Amino acid sequence: MHIPDGFLSPSVCITGYALTGGVTWQCLRQIDRDRDIQANIPKASLLTAAFFVASLINIPIPPTSIHLIFNGLMGALLGYYAFPAILIGLFFQAVMFQHGGMSTLGVNAIILGTPAIAAYYLFQQRHLLRDKKPFLTTILSFASGAGALLLSATMFAILLVTNISPDMDINAERTAIFISLGGYGIQAVIEGVFTVMLISFLERVKPELLNS
Amino acid sequence: MKLILDRYAYLDSPLHRWQQGYKLIGLLSLIFAFAVIQNIWLLPLMVIITWVLFSLSEIPVGFLIKRLRYPSWFIFAVVILLPLISGTTPILQLGYLTIKQEGSWQAILISVRFFCILTVSLVLFGTAPFLNSIKAMRSFGMPRVIVDMTLLSYRYLEELGEMLTTMQRAMKLRGFKARGFNRRTLKVFAQLTGSILIRSYERSSRIYQAMILRGYGSQISKKKQKKIEFDQSDRYSLRATITVVTMAILLIVLEAILPSFP
Amino acid sequence: MTNLIETAEQLSIKTKAVSLRNLCFSYEQERAILTDINLEIASGESVGLIGANGAGKTSLFLAVCGILKPTYGEIKLFERPIQTGEFNPEIGLVFQNPSDQLFCPTVRDDIAFGLENIGLDPEEIKARIASALSLTGVTHLAERISHQLSGGEKCMVAIAAVLAMLPQIVLYDEPSANLDMRARRRLIKFLQSSHETTVVSSHDLELIIEVCDRVVMLNQGRIVADGTPEEIMSNTSLMEANGLEVPHSLTHSHRR
Repeated sequence: MHIPDGFLSPSVCITGYALTGGVTWQCLRQIDRDRDIQANIPKASLLTAAFFVASLINIPIPPTSIHLIFNGLMGALLGYYAFPAILIGLFFQAVMFQHGGMSTLGVNAIILGTPAIAAYYLFQQRHLLRDKKPFLTTILSFASGAGALLLSATMFAILLVTNISPDMDINAERTAIFISLGGYGIQAVIEGVFTVMLISFLERVKPELLNS
Repeated sequence: MKLILDRYAYLDSPLHRWQQGYKLIGLLSLIFAFAVIQNIWLLPLMVIITWVLFSLSEIPVGFLIKRLRYPSWFIFAVVILLPLISGTTPILQLGYLTIKQEGSWQAILISVRFFCILTVSLVLFGTAPFLNSIKAMRSFGMPRVIVDMTLLSYRYLEELGEMLTTMQRAMKLRGFKARGFNRRTLKVFAQLTGSILIRSYERSSRIYQAMILRGYGSQISKKKQKKIEFDQSDRYSLRATITVVTMAILLIVLEAILPSFP
Repeated sequence: MTNLIETAEQLSIKTKAVSLRNLCFSYEQERAILTDINLEIASGESVGLIGANGAGKTSLFLAVCGILKPTYGEIKLFERPIQTGEFNPEIGLVFQNPSDQLFCPTVRDDIAFGLENIGLDPEEIKARIASALSLTGVTHLAERISHQLSGGEKCMVAIAAVLAMLPQIVLYDEPSANLDMRARRRLIKFLQSSHETTVVSSHDLELIIEVCDRVVMLNQGRIVADGTPEEIMSNTSLMEANGLEVPHSLTHSHRR
């Protein structure tokens, strides 16, 4: 779900960079309040690298296979660090695999990064209830994973379809958006279930990773 | 997993001699100028500039082609679809399908732009060690947290990639084969991902301790934080950047004044 | 009489657990990792694989269990060519770092992982887990979380997970690395009592002396020596030429 170079007008690209700059600044301000910033930077960095590596795993869905995006999960685990983490991951992907691109880096960071922050807020709500916590955690994990992906897919599809060609008629654009969202709907469910499984694994094996 | 990014970073070409900080300014402005282009007449010029840069860089063509393979699928799909769904002027009728002029031009425009920007960014990041690129960004005033995170995660990418490969080997040796998509397969992948996260997390605390022991984050290190200055005496790099930025501006001006086509 | 000889011949053929012919391996366009390896290991033998860092021990293991595809040559297990890239149930590999192998929440889940992959029914899985755990002496760890075990415990659990698959050949890659004295002793006792054909790669030469009845020495991807542990490891010039040291228990001062 990365917009490649050459697809967007420069005004959209620059707006993307500007927004990314703003969101990054906001996140860094929040991170600066963190008392343990020195210890958390290595943590966030290694998890950034780990998510990058994990996104290379091929999940087979015959006859094809998919890579997971993990932006909801990153939000849930990394909080405000998720946005810079995603930005860095996208930068690596653009430079190493030509996945995404340098001119669209800002836009792509907004597409994938802001839903991660939303997922973080959502996942935080699990502290609301004292009892029935496991159930709530499951629901919120699913919602973070699936919701973040859907949100990203929506932004991706709208941006791509409305920018790709000035001569496309509105109806064709609308159809294209809905078709692509249908496909991403399936991936959203997979990503949601995956997030539930992974969070429950971490809860059993290394709960401190969820609370830091 | 091999990150082959630095494979041609140590050649000695006119582009390798161009200091990375200067090169970033020059080539990034060129990339943005390319993104501006809407006029079909300017495409040949764009291709020529790209080609000159690429051949000066001495990076083998095979390397470029290899890297084009993956993203090209997406472009391919768009190039096939656009002429069919976009525009009003038919140029060819194939049974039910009408190929339209506007869509065809858009498809050409997008794919050429894509190809040129991608090649230029490969030249930009392929002609210097990746660490130099990150350091050059630091001198543009990138926030310290971002630079630190980029450096640290880059440092461990290959190692964690190796970890993933080994774990997948171990799974295979115990008979795991992702035959189809089902609950168990997904769960196994979730546990694999979770284990990688946990192992990275545990390693990060040891790395942090080692960093602290060597003075990371102390007051002194903050004060003395070295900023890589632009080497003003490097006339060559300065000239190269001015040339390329001028070209970028020229492209944008041409885009503004040339009559649009068709 | 002829009958007897034939049976004996058949037996000797059958007992060839591993046979490698002219095995070569290299990564794309890089220098050779393994060069012309010829090796036969009889069923029930326990072989030590020694050599300095980078001699090709791990690559040899990965090739023998079908993970790395040889660039040349053939690999047979019990006279059948292995299926590169496929699962070969005759052989198991215990990784150098047990954390590479353990990724399920509990020890029990982890041992069950391989058994589920080969489609055993739950009863059988339960029984095999129990016997693998008791064989390696870690029955008490069954419900523990694998990530939280100590290095020695992880090592034994990783071995249990491989043995539960009932392989006839087991490869151990540096099993005693990162073990304390007691865990190492437990490992040696275990290896001495195991019945499978085993190949142990290690820098821990004393362990090899205690466990193996044959030693194969690798240097820069070639086999440079093959014989009994005493023969090879007490040969000072041979050992030093290949970047190794004669283990203490075999030095002259120690012998007297």
